[in-house]
Amino acid sequence: MDSTDEFDQEVQPEKESPSYWTSVGIASLLFGIIAFVISIITVYATINAEPTGSFFSPTQLIGVLGCLVGAFGGMVATWHYAKEYDVVIKLGKGALIGFLTGVGITVISTLLNQVWLLFDPDMTQKMIESTVANFEAMDMPDEQKQQMIDATVESMRGQNNIGTQLLWGIPMYGILNLLTGMIGAKVFGKEESEFG
Amino acid sequence: MIYSTITRNRVLYFGVALLSLLLVMVGSGGGLFGYEGFWIGDWQHKMFRTLCHQDPSRSFWINGKPMAVCARCYGIYAGFSLFWLSIPLLGKINSDFFRYTKKMLLVAILLNIVDVVGNLLGFWQNSSISRSILGAIIGSTAVLTLAREFLKSKTN
Repeated sequence: MDSTDEFDQEVQPEKESPSYWTSVGIASLLFGIIAFVISIITVYATINAEPTGSFFSPTQLIGVLGCLVGAFGGMVATWHYAKEYDVVIKLGKGALIGFLTGVGITVISTLLNQVWLLFDPDMTQKMIESTVANFEAMDMPDEQKQQMIDATVESMRGQNNIGTQLLWGIPMYGILNLLTGMIGAKVFGKEESEFG
Repeated sequence: MIYSTITRNRVLYFGVALLSLLLVMVGSGGGLFGYEGFWIGDWQHKMFRTLCHQDPSRSFWINGKPMAVCARCYGIYAGFSLFWLSIPLLGKINSDFFRYTKKMLLVAILLNIVDVVGNLLGFWQNSSISRSILGAIIGSTAVLTLAREFLKSKTN
């Protein structure tokens, strides 16, 4: 069996490597707050906007960009880890750092969102009313419009449930940050000698 | 063949292959799974809600339902997945090629930013096809950046 490379990697004892939790914590906190703040800005911009009758608005784009930024937390965590300790980061470790950062981002933004709801418990209802008003302004058959409103209202009510936010957020942010964590490990980690 | 070509980080390779295929399948939206209700309510759209604008006019459609992600995002996931599965074939490429992959990824990201801004400012009108192709260039160059980590060294 020609797999000496693999066995070389697996059998050699791991060198003592510094903990990555600080990097995971910093990136999670930073990107969790960014994702939360931008989502809150988007929600209030939507609440205060005039109905346009369009599915898509520039405000929505800002919100998505903010959340999309959260997918790069893994890359930033590996960058921080590499910069702090000047170490070789194996791809698997980059993936793990990225995944944990994705989980952290989801937990922090979800918790902040729940805390915000204590200050403005009507936020979801106001958002639903604004979205429905926008749909009402759309030029489409009434039956289809009603179906769309029902589906959206149900979906938005579920969105502020802490369980739903974690259920959807952890796998998505986890996977995407796992991928960006790997890329971060490759881009920012110290280069191994040719093929380690 | 794949198993013997991937000589390093095998668990990671197959794990990411599975996850990337999962992203492509979920990103395809409820139409792929025969969802009957209004598309906003399908679980695929809920999963990607915070990550993509999901504008139906900027998405591909399957069975009368828009995908859960826009054409550009779908291109990124599909390009990533396709190239990830092709990593075993990349072992035949000259290793000098991999020196430039980080720059290629950066150029791919810049190309997409230019396309978004140009379209937004009205310099040109992009299409779902062009957006998905540009997205696929990001996905594929991201894989090229990582590919060498899974292949056997030519120097050994």
